[in-house]
Amino acid sequence: MRYFLMVLRLALAAVFVYAAYTKLRQPWLLFAMSIDAYQILPEWMALWLGRTLPWLELALGLLLASGFGLKYAAAAASVLLAVFLTVMARSYAEGMKIDCACFGLGEVISPVTLTRDGVLLALSVAVTILAMRKGRTTSVAA
Amino acid sequence: MIAGLALLLAALSAGASQLRNRGNSSAPIVMDVYSDFQCPACKALYERTLVPLSYDYIDRGKVYLVHHEFPLPQHAHAMEAACYACAASRVGKYEQVCELLFRRQEAWATDGKVDETVCSILTPAEARKVRALAKDPAVLAEVNQDIQAGHSAQVSQTPTVILTYRTKQYRIPGGASYDILRRFIDQLLAN
Repeated sequence: MRYFLMVLRLALAAVFVYAAYTKLRQPWLLFAMSIDAYQILPEWMALWLGRTLPWLELALGLLLASGFGLKYAAAAASVLLAVFLTVMARSYAEGMKIDCACFGLGEVISPVTLTRDGVLLALSVAVTILAMRKGRTTSVAA
Repeated sequence: MIAGLALLLAALSAGASQLRNRGNSSAPIVMDVYSDFQCPACKALYERTLVPLSYDYIDRGKVYLVHHEFPLPQHAHAMEAACYACAASRVGKYEQVCELLFRRQEAWATDGKVDETVCSILTPAEARKVRALAKDPAVLAEVNQDIQAGHSAQVSQTPTVILTYRTKQYRIPGGASYDILRRFIDQLLAN
């Protein structure tokens, strides 16, 4: 179980680090434009998220990779992925043909991107549950 | 001789496509727009972004706008509209026809009256010329050349906007507000 959890969290960490990398390698205003295209948030918040969200993804990726504060990092990653999935599903349902901005630009929201995000969310929830169970087992044993 | 003829045709076609571009060709930023007259998002881009961009950057020599026709196969009248717009460029009415096609998009996309829509703002002499040109294989070739250019640039959706500044290319996400795009252009120009 320990190794299984490690494999899952490392896979999730790699996804978060890669997602952050694809956003940080391009001007942050391009990512802000992608967020703005969802037409959910006011412009100032799209600009603020455009600057900060890639760093949050990077921090979560590094925390997941290191295993430090795992249950909190995994829970935060699950919440973030759930928000992404909800927002993407809403835009897709409304027929908006916009970039998902998941891994850089040029990928329109589609059943493929929605399925991928759903799989990542399931993975993240699994890591969260396993990390919490492990924490509980450790504290009971102590 | 055939190669020479092909080169001549390509040069003529390139010259004709320049009639659809706007601004100073030596502007620091080149903006390539791949658009479909029947696509609602392209209408939004035209009305909310390209119109204000004209005043703020194109007319001031900061951005050179390159129009590329990219009619999508699922839009029944998009190809015809693209041909009419290209034909209109040859009588110096591209901008006016663009504006009209986007403004009345819903109507002609439903009833298919592209010819009637375009010719409503042309003089009878211009209308005759544009009608003939819209069916000219050279105009169709010009549109197809734009589509090919789009495929080469990996355009898969409309509108697609690509900014080029000092040989670096930036793909602009569709649907973003003009204000954020303006910030980005200002940032590029300030560098």
